[in-house]
Amino acid sequence: MMKLATFTSVLGAASLAAGVAGAADLGAVDKPIKLAVNEWTGQHVTTHIAGEMLKAAGYNVEYVTAGMMNQFQAIADGEIHATLEIWSSNVSDEYANKISEGTIVELGDLELDAKEGIAYPAHVAELCPGLPAWEALKNCAPLFASAETLPAGRLVDYPADWGTPGADRMTGLELPFKAVPAGSEGALIAELRASTERKTPLLVTFWQPHWAMSAYDVKFVDLPVGEDACFNDPAWGPNPNAVNDCDFAPSRIFKAAWSGTAETWPAAFEILTNYTLAVEHQQPMMGAIDVDGGSVEEVVAAWMAANEDSWRPVVDAATK
Amino acid sequence: MSGSDTPAISCQNVWQVFGNNADSALKEALSRHQDPEEAAKELRAKGLIPAVQDANFEVKEGELFVIMGLSGSGKSTLIRCISHLLHATGGEIRIEGEDIVSASKARLIELRRKTLGMVFQHFGLFPHMTVLDNVAYPLRVQGVKKKERQAKAREVIELVGLAGREDHYPRELSGGQRQRVGIARSLVTDCSVWFLDEPFSALDPLIRRQLQDEFLDIQAKLKTTIVFITHDINEALKLADRIAIMRDGKIVQIGTPADIVLNPVDDYVREFSKDVAKGRHANVASVMQDAAHNPYGADDPGLRQDMTLDAALARCMDLYDPVPVRDGAGELVGVVNPADLAAALQVEGAE
Amino acid sequence: MIGGLTRGSLAALIALAVGILCLLLESGAPWLTVFPKNWVLPATDIVGEGTKTLLLWLKPAARLFSTLMSYPMTGANWLLASIPWPFLIASAVALGWRLGGVKMAAMAAIGLGLVLLSGYWPEGMNTLALVAVSVPLALVAGAAIGILANEYPRVREPVQALLDIMQTVPTFAYLTPLLVLFGFGPVVGLIASAIYAAPPMARNVLLGLQRVEAEVKEAAVMSGGTRMQQLFQVELPAARLQIMVGVNQCLMAALSMVIIAAVIGGFQDIGWEVLLTMRKAQFGAAMMAGMVIVIFAILIDRMSGTLAEDRRQFWDGRISIGILIVGLVISLSFLSTMGDPGSYQVLDPVADWLDAWLTSFTTANAALLTALKNGILFYVLLPLRIGLDQAILPFTWGFQWTTGMSLGFFAVSGVLAATLALSGRLTQGLVLLILAGILETGVSQLPWPFVLAAVGALSWVAGGRRLMLLSVVLLSTILFSGLWERALLSLYLSGAAVFACALLGGAIGLISAVSPLAWRVVRPICDMLQTIPLFVFLIPVLMVFQIGEFSAFLAIIAYAIVPMIRYTRQGLIDTPDEMMEGAIASGATTWQILKDVRAPYAAPTILLGLNQTILYAFAMLVIAALIGTTGLGQSIYLALGQADVGLGISAGAAMAILALISDRIVQGFAEERKKALGL
Repeated sequence: MMKLATFTSVLGAASLAAGVAGAADLGAVDKPIKLAVNEWTGQHVTTHIAGEMLKAAGYNVEYVTAGMMNQFQAIADGEIHATLEIWSSNVSDEYANKISEGTIVELGDLELDAKEGIAYPAHVAELCPGLPAWEALKNCAPLFASAETLPAGRLVDYPADWGTPGADRMTGLELPFKAVPAGSEGALIAELRASTERKTPLLVTFWQPHWAMSAYDVKFVDLPVGEDACFNDPAWGPNPNAVNDCDFAPSRIFKAAWSGTAETWPAAFEILTNYTLAVEHQQPMMGAIDVDGGSVEEVVAAWMAANEDSWRPVVDAATK
Repeated sequence: MSGSDTPAISCQNVWQVFGNNADSALKEALSRHQDPEEAAKELRAKGLIPAVQDANFEVKEGELFVIMGLSGSGKSTLIRCISHLLHATGGEIRIEGEDIVSASKARLIELRRKTLGMVFQHFGLFPHMTVLDNVAYPLRVQGVKKKERQAKAREVIELVGLAGREDHYPRELSGGQRQRVGIARSLVTDCSVWFLDEPFSALDPLIRRQLQDEFLDIQAKLKTTIVFITHDINEALKLADRIAIMRDGKIVQIGTPADIVLNPVDDYVREFSKDVAKGRHANVASVMQDAAHNPYGADDPGLRQDMTLDAALARCMDLYDPVPVRDGAGELVGVVNPADLAAALQVEGAE
Repeated sequence: MIGGLTRGSLAALIALAVGILCLLLESGAPWLTVFPKNWVLPATDIVGEGTKTLLLWLKPAARLFSTLMSYPMTGANWLLASIPWPFLIASAVALGWRLGGVKMAAMAAIGLGLVLLSGYWPEGMNTLALVAVSVPLALVAGAAIGILANEYPRVREPVQALLDIMQTVPTFAYLTPLLVLFGFGPVVGLIASAIYAAPPMARNVLLGLQRVEAEVKEAAVMSGGTRMQQLFQVELPAARLQIMVGVNQCLMAALSMVIIAAVIGGFQDIGWEVLLTMRKAQFGAAMMAGMVIVIFAILIDRMSGTLAEDRRQFWDGRISIGILIVGLVISLSFLSTMGDPGSYQVLDPVADWLDAWLTSFTTANAALLTALKNGILFYVLLPLRIGLDQAILPFTWGFQWTTGMSLGFFAVSGVLAATLALSGRLTQGLVLLILAGILETGVSQLPWPFVLAAVGALSWVAGGRRLMLLSVVLLSTILFSGLWERALLSLYLSGAAVFACALLGGAIGLISAVSPLAWRVVRPICDMLQTIPLFVFLIPVLMVFQIGEFSAFLAIIAYAIVPMIRYTRQGLIDTPDEMMEGAIASGATTWQILKDVRAPYAAPTILLGLNQTILYAFAMLVIAALIGTTGLGQSIYLALGQADVGLGISAGAAMAILALISDRIVQGFAEERKKALGL
């Protein structure tokens, strides 16, 4: 809950900053702008498009691999200059610390329409009729039971360090499921894959955009639509005695930069601030890379060529 | 070099105690007991090990002094105290008059570079160096130029009969050859005090005898002062000018080979000399009587005072009366009874 | 003997008494089972703040060091990236020839050829650059530590403890502080791998120096050398072989750390590739990337291994030069047409095939695998963790465990224990009772006073009063840091895995000792298990057995069983010939020889193997947290993700404490066995 509050305030501060637009100085063109490349494909696409836009504006760009969790110290130190796909559901306290220190500044939303939820591979609907309505889970629970969770059903939740949103839902909705932390994203995917291949029951906490959504035909459970009241007022929602008896709070996906970015490269700062990417664009590119085996550079280059009118104005606004 | 009145090595009340706080424990024990035996007892009761107890002796310049004892008797510890590989817990050790127990580190290095040499039981050769480099090493640490030190090393290698093997590594040599390298290395600096710690014990009997003979040759040439450790009574008798016998950390007897053989102070020493062919080590002088007060018979088998008992007995096999003993110049020096000769040889046999 | 009891039975008696007392008072005094929260000191916060202050203070010097290290790093990187691959392969082949003739040259050619074909050449070269800089760093640091410990016997014990800490505190626990200290980038990975790789070097240097014959050292003294001359001209060269063993181990350790350093990133190395493919659960591709590391590890191991051989011979250098020239000519003549070696992804079909095979295997054997998993979970792991009274349910065992059954269980144990005690084996009887109690309660729910008493008693038996004091004090720090429950969970999981390793590994080691044919099969498997990045194994385990304890249990066993196998075999085949001849001459059968002669003689070696297995199990516990365990390993990830320095260090320290105590206890017993055998 603390985390959520922090991010709302951060959001407020960021929207103020994003209000300014107009041509700006290029700044230190010779000094390379270092963009963080994290561990997942969607982020690679997001980052490479931004990088190509900066190059089109005349900048020198370097891509630096960086662990998502560990990148903030580097950004605060100015060793990496921007990271372009931060999920509010999955961000460390370190980030909030750096923001309050003033060593990292937020660059506003990426406007990637993200959704998190309780999910299952499509074949599970046959095993537990009534899905995707959440009430169906009440009776199906034993179906999902495993040795460790008996007699409750088993929900594979996010790795422990991402928080426990799945477990919170189960408690809030009084569903007879025990959440098991996955340990890593790879473990989540392996669960999805094994379940799909063996047609076994599985309930996971998952999110989109993600390539696995289509690869394993993952569906979300319909939960009561979340309102602010759901997270604060126990009386709200189907369970009168608990909070969190609703769907996930909508995730924000946003961008952040080193505090010296605006000063060093004013135009780049503006481009990155105004840069947005829609799920409809990102998801096909992820498919082209992860499923069809294309390289990030090629796929992004093809997209840049075909969609010049969607990104060129952002570059022009900042430089001309 | 020091005058003849200064011994090459002198040890006074030397103690080596192993264990925790050995220094203070020894001081305390000595302050409480006059008798070293009592002091040692107290140390043992405290769980300490008195490996050398109250050693006292002097070695004259040019003398070949052998320390003999069974394993665990403290002889190796004693030689390490004298060469200061171990810091003696108590007592005074002087080499050529200089106190080495309190010598500075730098002075000790200096002494080892110029004065002391040592040969080890298991050779202590540097496995990563050739024969030549091993022998030249004591010069190398002094900063002697490569050409010069190698020339000197070759000389010594020649002396010990290893010419032609300069470029071999120790592992490629036989045991006897390895010890020749060890000897050569200890001689390369022209030391004046030479320590040998059971140098031939690890060798086959044949090789051992050969090296003993060569060792005596070298000694005859170099005339260094030698402290030689062994557990082999025959080796001790063959080489020594004087022998010190150690038991349980104590020196129980010091004497010439003949003394040791003929007048053992206790059963321990007697046990050692039991199997020794005494006739070969004791000479006529050791059983000879005063000529002035003892009459002698008419037969003169021509005994000399430095003859071994064996040789003397061979000359008077069928004689029963006392016979005269003369020195090299033919002067009468004493009288010996053939029966005494036989008795001296049979001391142990009778028991 | 105290009061007619042996040390062992006295210790067991004390532990048992405390256990029974806790059991009886449980209902009246709940603080006995669950350590009260308000007794916990805010240690993690204090540690966190303290470390942060310290880090801030050290930061300028550390950053300077980072800058300095980035030069050789960039240099090595540039060099390896810009040399055309034919020349690099030729260099490796030439070196292989010189060190080991045709066999090693072929190994280098095939190995690097595979790396090239896998398309991971550029990443592989980045990894090598990292190793090329971190290894010299680890070697120099390790040698310095080893020499220091040799020169000053007084610091030897603290240094040993430091080395233990360097090896047992999981790397993940100190990645965050390192990041703050040295800034982002490959230098952190460099230092992390140097920290992990330096201890084997230090240990071997110290061991080597101590093993130089006393007379060789004395000869150097009597030659009149200064201490420095003695050390550098005589002792270190004479210890060369042992030091080379250290170099070899150091190289391997640095390589095994590569993947963990990649978690931070900043460097497009092979570890990063493994992480990316892991995240997508692409087993085939992860195997491919992992294979590159294995190839490097095998090549480096075998080539540097020849350095540790006595009397090694060099092969004809002219042929090496010839190979180099061929490589140079090829590089020069095809320079423009070679293209990017990263694009030669010839082996992709193999990766796909591996993936498909895994799928079909798990699908085909789903029922069997689930039955296996449930069997072990229901009948072994669950009872061990939460005790018989909670693990036995109609769903798991088919009936409900009642209080009556508990009493019956205790009664049967009591009768058995009494029988043992009456037949003169009092200690065994008492231990049996303690084990029965633990099984009934479950490891994760043991009352803390009992754990302290039992571990203290065990330490006392193994290593006397000092070890007992150390164990109890260290365990108490975990108790007061609030990580106790997690520590018990870790203890349970690694304990179960170690137990399984001991049984299984001991059996495999025994078979390998008896049959050379079996060893020929087992040995390469052991080699692979030790070098392949462990992450790679997590995926198939996950696919087959899903997230959870059982998968973690298997992953730990896969890694930690290797030393048990190796040491058991080594101990059994190392029996001196004279002893064997004595036994044969007495007319003993092969089995009798094994049981009565070889096994007792091998006991100290096998105990050392067990010791290694314990340390390995704790090391793997952290990695197993990636597939969902709930012990200290998970705390370390939490801390890493949240950049929580205090929690990371505390959890890491707790892990190291558990490992250290187990290590000391087992070593104590090993020493005792050794002394009993007069070794």
